[in-house]
Amino acid sequence: MKSFKSMVYPYIIWSTILIIIPMLMIAGYAFTVKGNSVLTFRFTLDNFKSFFVDSVFINVLKRSLYIAVITTILCILLGYPAAYIIANLAREKNKVMMVLFITFPTWINMLVRTYAWLGILQDNGLINTILQTVGLPALKLIHTDFAVILGMVYNFIPFMILQIYTSLTKMDKSYLEAAQDLGASKLQSFLRITLPLSLPGIISGITLVFLPAVSSFFIPKLLGGGQYVLIGNVIENEFLIAGNWNFGSAISLIMAITIIFFMWLTKKADRDPSGEGGV
Amino acid sequence: MKKLIAVILGAAMISSMVAGCGGTSESGDSKSNVVKVFNWGEVIGEDVISNFEDQYDAKVIYEVYDSNEMMYTKLQAGDKYDVLVPSDYMIERLKNENALMPLDKSLIPNMENLADEVKGLPYDPDLTYSVPYFYGSVGIVYNKNNVPKELVEEQGWDILKNTDYKGKIFMYDSERDSFMVALKALGYSMNTENEDEIQAAYQWLLELNNTMDPIYVMDEVIDSMIGGVKDMAVVYSGDAAYILSQNEDMAFCEPKQGTNIFCDSMVIPANAENPELAHEFINYILSYDASYDNTYTVGYTSSNKQVRDDISAEGEEYYGNEAYIPRSGYENDEVFHDNPVIRENLSNLWIKVKSSEE
Repeated sequence: MKSFKSMVYPYIIWSTILIIIPMLMIAGYAFTVKGNSVLTFRFTLDNFKSFFVDSVFINVLKRSLYIAVITTILCILLGYPAAYIIANLAREKNKVMMVLFITFPTWINMLVRTYAWLGILQDNGLINTILQTVGLPALKLIHTDFAVILGMVYNFIPFMILQIYTSLTKMDKSYLEAAQDLGASKLQSFLRITLPLSLPGIISGITLVFLPAVSSFFIPKLLGGGQYVLIGNVIENEFLIAGNWNFGSAISLIMAITIIFFMWLTKKADRDPSGEGGV
Repeated sequence: MKKLIAVILGAAMISSMVAGCGGTSESGDSKSNVVKVFNWGEVIGEDVISNFEDQYDAKVIYEVYDSNEMMYTKLQAGDKYDVLVPSDYMIERLKNENALMPLDKSLIPNMENLADEVKGLPYDPDLTYSVPYFYGSVGIVYNKNNVPKELVEEQGWDILKNTDYKGKIFMYDSERDSFMVALKALGYSMNTENEDEIQAAYQWLLELNNTMDPIYVMDEVIDSMIGGVKDMAVVYSGDAAYILSQNEDMAFCEPKQGTNIFCDSMVIPANAENPELAHEFINYILSYDASYDNTYTVGYTSSNKQVRDDISAEGEEYYGNEAYIPRSGYENDEVFHDNPVIRENLSNLWIKVKSSEE
């Protein structure tokens, strides 16, 4: 047992360097401003004040959360049936093939795939060219909410499908047989057995989709246009263009706290039904 | 038997270590033949680098960025390069931070090829630190069929707020260019430090944002305007020259209220590892062939006078292209200055403009 414990150290060192130190640096930046040359840093809450005083930033944060929530819900609605169908395929070989197809797009860089959507959705892009050759009016697709959410769902749905798929395949099939023996309908056994048992998969899927969706900055930038500002774009701007690392860090910290709050909510939602189901 | 294997393995290890050392010392020697160039994306001719490598028996490590600020952030992070190609205001900033090396002009004889328009610019009047690569201005590309030429010339920047063209304009997603447009439209200096003037420009942009439904883009503007997606766009002259060469319906106007004249120039960072070859590279870029290849491929105005005049002469690639040679000597045109306080202020205002909803 003792020998196993020492194997944790590399991980601890690793996560200290790559996770904890950067987090502390962000917190450090967030609570300071650039001072004069004598005193390099000065403690302040101004960075947070300027975020909350200005309704612009609050609105941007709200819109980011809204887009991320919609994206997550769509990923569940579309991803669950996909995962369910794959998990219930008769032959193991087909399952492997289907999972491969789901992960296949993620082998290509996300930026490149998003650029492809730009070409498809453009005013004179693929879809509109087809519509116009058929004689239908062109649609306004690019630079809309629709385009941004489409881009996000497209990019993040594999994470949702794979999580749900994994939890579905791990499920003990004898529960379903027992339910059938006891005369439950297909719908009943799905609602009372399959769904609760796959909930952990949904929860970790939510985490994997919601987190990148809420902080994504290049999808809104490309598919929404520069006027489509989400919180990730504000942070990017503060770091890369304005050069105000302190304010950028403060926003990152506010984001992190918001996300932790949302994660806590989902965890809570997770605990209740499973406690009730006694699984 | 085991012993034998151990000996063989040991020998193999030692020999590979020796070979490894040999390898490093070799690459140490050849290091003087490596030059690291950090340039804008899509601003170099197809054969320029390979020709340089052949002629000088050198190896070019070529990396690109898409904004001055991104380049600056990478430098801050500690990356080392031998040649950079920042814009005027960024050169000023790097110069003030003592991050640049004064050039040895005796190693760059081709500097005599430079056009007069790129000499004596305020950020580096004697070209002590920088050698111009491309120069240009900012103007409006418009579709001749939908927007009358007289109207653009009469209204200048104000045409961007002409509601006849609502939903039909592209602007740059950059606080520098947007505020330049607004300040110029209002008749102020684009380098103003007057808070009232900045606020007025902010209101101007807010109004534009809320009445015109503009789309803010960066380099996508090139393909989109070639495709004729919108009627008007604020575009850098070099990109405009390319757009005009690809789509005959498009025209270019440098507004009467004045605009920004910019110059991207090659500099050598103070911590460059191979300054000699960097000088060679700069000198090579100024040569006729390399300059020609660059400007022919990219569309930005060459700093090499002969190349610029030849390529815009009758029958050549940019003949009659009104965007190829930017206007010079117009009193309302200005070069951008770096001011960190204003920069941060504008950048925050710009975010507010973009995220405001009508």
